Amino acid sequence: MISDIAGKLRGQFAPGAHSELRAQRSLSRRVTLLQGNLTRNARTDSQGVSARVYQGGVYGFASQAELSEAAARRALATATDNARFLDGHTGYQMGALPDIAAGAMAPQEDFTDLPQKHYLDFLRPLDDYIAGKYPDLASRTLVAYADSMEKQLITSDGYSAHLLAPRSYIYLFLNAQTGDGMPVEVFKVFGGSGTFDLQFKAPEDLYAQVDQLYEHLMKKREGVFAQAGKKTVILHGELAGMLAHEAVGHTVEADLVLGGSVAGPMLDEMVASPLVSMTDFAHTAFGQEAPLPVYVDDEGVLAQDAELIRNGRLTGYMVNRELGRHFSMRPQGNARAFAFNDEPLIRMRNTAVHPGLDKFEDMIASVEDGYYLISSNNGQADTTGEFMFGISLGYEIKNGRLGRAIFDTTISGVAFDMLKTVDRVSDRVSWSSSGFCGKKQLMPVGLGGPDLRCDVMIGGK
Amino acid sequence: MQLIKDTVALAMEAFSSLGASVYSARALSSRTNEFNAEGGKFSLFRTTLDSGLTLQAIKDKKRGVVSGNSFEEQAVRLAVADCLAAAEAGQEDPAWDMADTGGGRFEEGPYEADMDQLFSRTRELLSDISREYPRVMVEQLVVSHVQADSLYENSKGVRYTKKSGWYQLSLMFSGHEGGKSSSFNGAGFLTASLAEPFLALGNLRQLLADAQNQVHTTPAPGKGEGVVVFTPECLGGILYELLGNYVADSVLIDGTSQWKDQLGRQVADPALTLRLAPLDPRIVNGEKYTEEGYLSSDYTLIEQGVLKGFMLSDYAARKTGYDRAPNASAALVVEPGDKALQEIIAGIPKGLLVGRYSGGAAGANGEFSGVAKNAFMIENGQVTHAVSETMIAGNLAGMLKRLVGISRETVADGSSVLPWLAVDGITITGQ
Repeated sequence: MISDIAGKLRGQFAPGAHSELRAQRSLSRRVTLLQGNLTRNARTDSQGVSARVYQGGVYGFASQAELSEAAARRALATATDNARFLDGHTGYQMGALPDIAAGAMAPQEDFTDLPQKHYLDFLRPLDDYIAGKYPDLASRTLVAYADSMEKQLITSDGYSAHLLAPRSYIYLFLNAQTGDGMPVEVFKVFGGSGTFDLQFKAPEDLYAQVDQLYEHLMKKREGVFAQAGKKTVILHGELAGMLAHEAVGHTVEADLVLGGSVAGPMLDEMVASPLVSMTDFAHTAFGQEAPLPVYVDDEGVLAQDAELIRNGRLTGYMVNRELGRHFSMRPQGNARAFAFNDEPLIRMRNTAVHPGLDKFEDMIASVEDGYYLISSNNGQADTTGEFMFGISLGYEIKNGRLGRAIFDTTISGVAFDMLKTVDRVSDRVSWSSSGFCGKKQLMPVGLGGPDLRCDVMIGGK
Repeated sequence: MQLIKDTVALAMEAFSSLGASVYSARALSSRTNEFNAEGGKFSLFRTTLDSGLTLQAIKDKKRGVVSGNSFEEQAVRLAVADCLAAAEAGQEDPAWDMADTGGGRFEEGPYEADMDQLFSRTRELLSDISREYPRVMVEQLVVSHVQADSLYENSKGVRYTKKSGWYQLSLMFSGHEGGKSSSFNGAGFLTASLAEPFLALGNLRQLLADAQNQVHTTPAPGKGEGVVVFTPECLGGILYELLGNYVADSVLIDGTSQWKDQLGRQVADPALTLRLAPLDPRIVNGEKYTEEGYLSSDYTLIEQGVLKGFMLSDYAARKTGYDRAPNASAALVVEPGDKALQEIIAGIPKGLLVGRYSGGAAGANGEFSGVAKNAFMIENGQVTHAVSETMIAGNLAGMLKRLVGISRETVADGSSVLPWLAVDGITITGQ
């Protein structure tokens, strides 16, 4: 663990100016086997200190790539100078930020940084299993990835904390060719929060899921192009989570509301079917620990859930301390910074649609002509709520039964229109947490939800 | 520069003392000063002092890579040992190697920041937009100066130093009127000079004017094939997707590239010539040497529609038997065509002018589909109205053979130089 660097400087904060000091270490480990070739075998370790000071309505920020008390002092001095410079050049004359609860969170449990050999030794037999059992694959790629963030935070008037957040994943990509030589690909991600050795005990534990993925690939090999146009679909929970994050979540981040997002004028209005509720969970969701729990944010705010939609009605935005004051909302721990040299921005944590009462099988049976869309290779949304998700695995639904697999396609819609078409919500929830959200900085986020029946535009031939 | 020289020297000595035979160290340090504005108002002044150290070792044909940001002696020695341990744990592969020729010293751009002038130009931009484009809202503006030093050295005697400075600007904005808004759009620029107002950079004036005209939209009618004109801002992303699918390391190593047997053959319309040109004077702070230690030079990837090479690293070149690419940059330069944009549009009976594309990653087959954002309808040779909820679909390789126009005008944003490109046979699906 990093030593107590920030805590020694608590007394150095300028009187009356809200200040934060953060010492941080971020690790990542990656091993890539491409067709059995070790094409990537890399470890990164990034560490440093940063300070942020609020004065007159603007912030000064500074960082140093060094974990030391002297570096922390320099960062704090530069951040104070920067706040003065910008305050002096703008003259917004805003007063101090409203008070928040103060306290200290005990350090979280330390974790073991595994050697590179551990990742390689796990991946090799898994790769051998795939190569041996499925020689007809056009190619296979396996990636073992682990990262962690350790933060020591002190603030002039909020919570102090020492936080550790490791997560670990295996990404598996399988390729085959159709009868006329067209390449098709499927992928799956395994893992979640915690260190690699806790997430993955033995390669054999994954064999059954590898076999399932191969079966999907064989069906996709015989697949068809989706028919373009508006269709009734069943979105798997992974896609419902992406919808919650990309198409709704970003539009209710207060900085984007301030920038003119579509959700701005919709507070307290019906924006979705009454079957739809949505929350950005801090650390606990549906009675269990959320995929990537956040307990204290990087402004020293004790993290709580941020309710976004209740029974179809838009109930709140996600704010930081400054925009909480602007919108008269209480900050709930959404101000997060990625690297030691990043300032906190309004970010999501674990954003999910709440489960409903429908059974998945009944939902499939209810569709006469549509698609079951299972996984996505990326998603983007606009501040207008217009979204796009790339679909990498899906099936036709004909007369209530699953049909042929479809080739890669894209779905799109306008979130607050599309959510009004949701008429069935399953009672099971799927989470994913392996990716990064991009918004000036990267950030690990969790996203989840149940299966949804709704209408979307689907791209294709 | 002295600190990174000392750090690289320490790493090289540590590798040698641990018995390594082939290894490299690359250290860099940078200072970034950055102004941020949100909702059209200044919000943050940020100063970051950053450093980085990347170590690579090849031992018994096995390779390890470790990167970190601490220059402290103990941390550097630990990183070197970690790098060798990673290599030892690796897998034997004779394709791993490092450059044994090359070297150089490079200096470019404004190394020292003029912060008062940078602040003035930033304030001027916010003011200019507010005055000249009153229906545009600046969601986020990030303007910075970066000062960077780097040093690469390997055990085969190759050594590079680079000292550089540049300004960069990133802007996110949207149009607003009567409670409605356009899709957001973005613009990014690298520049070596603050002599001109930021509003004069690239195609920024047109992008802001377009945002004002994209507030009120209607979907394109029905479904059918048409011509899509990609703006330079949109074209870059489409071309990077295409190159990743057909000429990059991974798709040639695993053999899924549909161009793997197309070297020397016609893969595009003869009007298309595409270069990777980090040394082009319009590219700001372009790559001077690759991570593998080779001196970078410009090259032509597609010449008059003929595929002249692949974008391969030295490692991938050895794996596949093709030539290594002369640089590893993403500095795309597409040669201009012989028609003005207006002439190209005048010849299009039905199509779209697309300013941003929001789509899923194209499959290995090159099939793509996604939403046409910040887009206008083209009808009977005229740009008519802004569209929304309109999807486009096609094939990345296929569309290069169906070019109907490359504009004479190009936009240089400091990272690439691109024209408007018109492509036929795209499926356009509206409501």
